[in-house]
Amino acid sequence: MSARGTLLSLQGIARHYQVGAEVVRALEGVSFDVAHGEWVAVVGQSGSGKSTLMNILGCLDTPTAGTYLVNGRDVRGLLDHELADLRNREIGFVFQTFQLLARASALANVELPLVYRGVPRAERRARAEEALRAVGLADRVRHRPNELSGGQRQRVAIARALVGQPSLLLADEPTGNLDSATGEEIVRLFGELHARGHTILLVTHEPRIAARCPRAIRLMDGHVVADGPGREVALLGAPQAVTA
Amino acid sequence: MKSARRALAELQESLRISLSALAGNRLRTALTTLGIVIGVTTVIAIVAIIQGLNTSFAASIQTLGAHTLFVDKWKWLNVTGDWWKYRNRKAIGLPELHAIVRESREAVAAAPMSVTLAAVGRGERQLGSVRVYGTSSQYPAATGRGVGFGRFLAEQESDMGAPSVVLGADVQDNLFPGVPPEQVLGARVRIVGRPFKVVGLMERRGKLLGTAMDNNVLIPLPLYSEMFGAKRPMSIAVAAAPGRVGDLENELTGILRKVRRVPPGKDDDFTFNRQEQFLKVYQGLTKALYGVAIGVGLITLVVGGIGIMNIMLVSVHERTREIGVRRALGARRSTILAQFLIESAVVAALGGALGTGLGLAFAQLIALATPLAAAVTPSAVALGLGFSALTGLIFGSWPAWRAANLDPVEALRYE
Repeated sequence: MSARGTLLSLQGIARHYQVGAEVVRALEGVSFDVAHGEWVAVVGQSGSGKSTLMNILGCLDTPTAGTYLVNGRDVRGLLDHELADLRNREIGFVFQTFQLLARASALANVELPLVYRGVPRAERRARAEEALRAVGLADRVRHRPNELSGGQRQRVAIARALVGQPSLLLADEPTGNLDSATGEEIVRLFGELHARGHTILLVTHEPRIAARCPRAIRLMDGHVVADGPGREVALLGAPQAVTA
Repeated sequence: MKSARRALAELQESLRISLSALAGNRLRTALTTLGIVIGVTTVIAIVAIIQGLNTSFAASIQTLGAHTLFVDKWKWLNVTGDWWKYRNRKAIGLPELHAIVRESREAVAAAPMSVTLAAVGRGERQLGSVRVYGTSSQYPAATGRGVGFGRFLAEQESDMGAPSVVLGADVQDNLFPGVPPEQVLGARVRIVGRPFKVVGLMERRGKLLGTAMDNNVLIPLPLYSEMFGAKRPMSIAVAAAPGRVGDLENELTGILRKVRRVPPGKDDDFTFNRQEQFLKVYQGLTKALYGVAIGVGLITLVVGGIGIMNIMLVSVHERTREIGVRRALGARRSTILAQFLIESAVVAALGGALGTGLGLAFAQLIALATPLAAAVTPSAVALGLGFSALTGLIFGSWPAWRAANLDPVEALRYE
């Protein structure tokens, strides 16, 4: 537990899906805390429950059982619009497929979370420009996603995640659709953000990236099987990472 | 305050999104709005025609005199089967006129009116069937019809049967084409061969229910009776003071029953005709027309609305991921709902605006091509726009509801 205080707290989180007659236990008894300012990787193979965990952490989904606190607030029992507001204020999403709005400029994309917060237009614009400058895209504000490279698109997405100054940056395979050099740039950008004090939770299947994080959590079949320094956890189930 | 600002920001964003979405699919947008366009065009055009009818009808009905009662044997516009009842009535004649002039306090003016078709000519020019009226000097005051140039028959002329005539505008046009009015006065015309001196020209009245009201000449009643016979059917125009037509009618009923010796308990054997009767028939007619316009409008709006619903469902489907992203970034369900509602309302209102423009053009065309003063009122435009936007809202609500209730997780994963 960090001296800087707990941001996320998960106690016995379970998530079950009903698929036909069968109950799929995507997550079972998941418990861990994340302190302010931490950079945590969540690793695991596909089907391990990473995405389900990510959805719950992002308040897009609610657990079947267990307690999930964000900044001390229990998300269980929150109404849909309260969850929407919570996502808006506390969480910045970065997706594997960038998920930018194709018809909107970089600036308009980055402004979006502030629109849903009711920030006045001028302030919105200024803050969005500032966020784009922070990710090195000051000269691309008017460009549309299809006029940007993959790396630039992901930077726009990161700027969009940061613009509302959320407590948590939640990245789901942010380098999955990028070549390794561009992926490396993005990981370096996360490093810088971490150094500036942002709390980052990064879901990845690449041990190489998890190894760069101070802390990593490994999921397997819906359970936490390892939680420790990134380098150790990354190496655990993935010997190929050593040779990579 | 904060929530109001948020709502405003979301509204602006929704408008921006919908406009860019529509601009991104121009052809589809155009096709979608087609139904609404046709509907609104039809309604605006029909309403414009009705308004035009109203204007021209109201203008021509004025020529019947707002405060005038016409004492007649026949009921105007009578379409019921009691023809015999009227047929067997005693004719209205001079005794009735004299009784009214003698006894009525409410009557401002009273004039006999008898009419027949006759040939009117001037030199080479011959008009085969002109409505020739036999009347008195009281005619303008009793009917509210004005003299445009010169004067009406003087009292002496009408009493003595002097060969003076006042021409209706059509007769003037046909017998004196291009002749200045001052030169028409004093000229001679022949009515079934007899010479008359033109003393005045009536104001132009136009048409009433398709009948030309200016194809007439007015001569003194004694002369008329001499020429066409004294037993011709007659009616009496009686003018009341403004607002006292009802009182006049009551008074005249008494006077006429007495002079016509109608036994107590028996029905009147005469009729009062008024311009309002035309108005009533006309209003019934336009009511039916409005009904048709509303029916056509509703049907096309429903058809157009279904088109909009269809395209909005496609739009929601196509933008599933966008919806997921917006939800992840903090858009509430209500925000998504509003976004798609606004989009469908905007599509529909665009169609409505286009339809209004086309309807206006049609109205102009009708106004140019026909004597109808087809008029588009601001209220018709507002109605067209309002109804189309409402259609968008109604038919967009189900797609918008579906959009708002998408599961964000599913929506984000959607390929």
